[in-house]
Amino acid sequence: MLPEKNHPASYRDPSGFVFISEGVIYRQVNPGYSKDYELLMAGLYGDLVAKKWLVAHEEITTIPSTDRYKILKPVQLDHINYPYEWSFSQYKDAALLTLNIQLCAMTHGMSLKDATPFNIVFSGSSPIFIDTLSFETYDATSPWVAYRQFCESFLAPLLLASYHHPDLTRLMLTYPEGIPLDIAASLLPFSSKLKSLASLHIHLQSGIKGNSKQAEKKQVVFSRDKLNRIITHLISGINSLTLNKKISTWSNYYTHTILQDNYLQEKEKLVDAFCEQVSFHTAVDLGANTGQFAMLLEKKGKIITALDIDPLCIERLYLHSRENGLRITSLVSDLMHPSPGIGWNNSERKPLLERIHAEMVLALALVHHLCIGRNLPFQKLANTLQQTGKFLIIEFVPKSDEKVKQLLAFRKDIFSSYDLDQFKKAFGGYYDILDEKNIGHSGRALFLMKSKNG
Amino acid sequence: MFLYVDPGSGSYIVQLIIAAVLGAGFYFKTGWSYIKNFFRKNKTDD
Repeated sequence: MLPEKNHPASYRDPSGFVFISEGVIYRQVNPGYSKDYELLMAGLYGDLVAKKWLVAHEEITTIPSTDRYKILKPVQLDHINYPYEWSFSQYKDAALLTLNIQLCAMTHGMSLKDATPFNIVFSGSSPIFIDTLSFETYDATSPWVAYRQFCESFLAPLLLASYHHPDLTRLMLTYPEGIPLDIAASLLPFSSKLKSLASLHIHLQSGIKGNSKQAEKKQVVFSRDKLNRIITHLISGINSLTLNKKISTWSNYYTHTILQDNYLQEKEKLVDAFCEQVSFHTAVDLGANTGQFAMLLEKKGKIITALDIDPLCIERLYLHSRENGLRITSLVSDLMHPSPGIGWNNSERKPLLERIHAEMVLALALVHHLCIGRNLPFQKLANTLQQTGKFLIIEFVPKSDEKVKQLLAFRKDIFSSYDLDQFKKAFGGYYDILDEKNIGHSGRALFLMKSKNG
Repeated sequence: MFLYVDPGSGSYIVQLIIAAVLGAGFYFKTGWSYIKNFFRKNKTDD
């Protein structure tokens, strides 16, 4: 097993690195990390894997070499997602997972040497820690080396989302190393200073600028008890964070749909029937709303990713999936601005469209939002959807539809080519249309298509 | 991933202060809840 290609984001840690060989992800452990690795495997690993907190791995037997200690093959995850695509509660759960892992590690004589949300991935409705080499031997006389990083990359986005708007977790796209504490402190309202969570871990910390000379003079010894107190305080504070009430009530809008009830039932029947016509295992639902159709596919045993632009829809879907143990990975994303490739060489974090490939693409009640709401030509939509998956179930919403009329109410109708014929013509260039049905008497139509690329 | 943070700089001092504040806060909280409970009891008595 030799590295074909090192993972572009795996260069910071001298303990080892991630590489890809024949499409499979492996992790090399370097000789310098051998002691920590043995300590990890002596108890902590088993404990964390049993709790489903840490990704499990198997050791691969290789020819002994002075350059490497071990090669690990971790359980391969369905897909990778990033903190700027998580809803508020997903972010919260990822933060709590990190803290709980740290507490657990301390009981095994280890500690996390970094605390970044990029070490966590949502697989279905549960977060899982993927960086096996993040643990080091715990020295109780030292404070937590990753404390500041935790505050900048977990606590700051969570507080901003909680005090202002759930969309603010997307700031991690601009500050992938974490929101600098002085920026976070200046954005938080005065009232946050009255709560110990923000006042101690953000405001106080951003106000203190120590230097190493100062610290050398101070020989005050840290203790396990002190660190326990800090982490427990973070856990209880983060646990009680909620979204701003004014904002979270918007989502009631989605329960009051102006469309007739039987429209949704009819659509569900058709989608169900279309899914039976073709064979697929993975699916991505674009514009999933609160996930009615993602849940339908989940019931059929498909591995599904659900995307929506509205962080509150994804919040709802996530909470519902978590409660019911549904295998739906829900992510916040604006398809007009999908997450780009970021980091060094634009390649440490992959662009969204490279991560959501699936055999089946669902685009229900989406066309009018993109093609009228955002002026996107049919042909561009068809092209991108084709690159995302082999099969497509897509709903066409005509201009006569009430929702389209709403979109056009206060703007000039420049969409003379928005009609069913043009839609079929544009998609016909990329897909074979396998089936076409009207959705009851709604005037909308549902299509099952197969990519011409095979 | 690995982040080089010098535990001897700001982060060290902050964690010491916060741990101290939280330690003191524990006593403060216990005292505070004692006072709150005292008034709550009085209220329910009314």
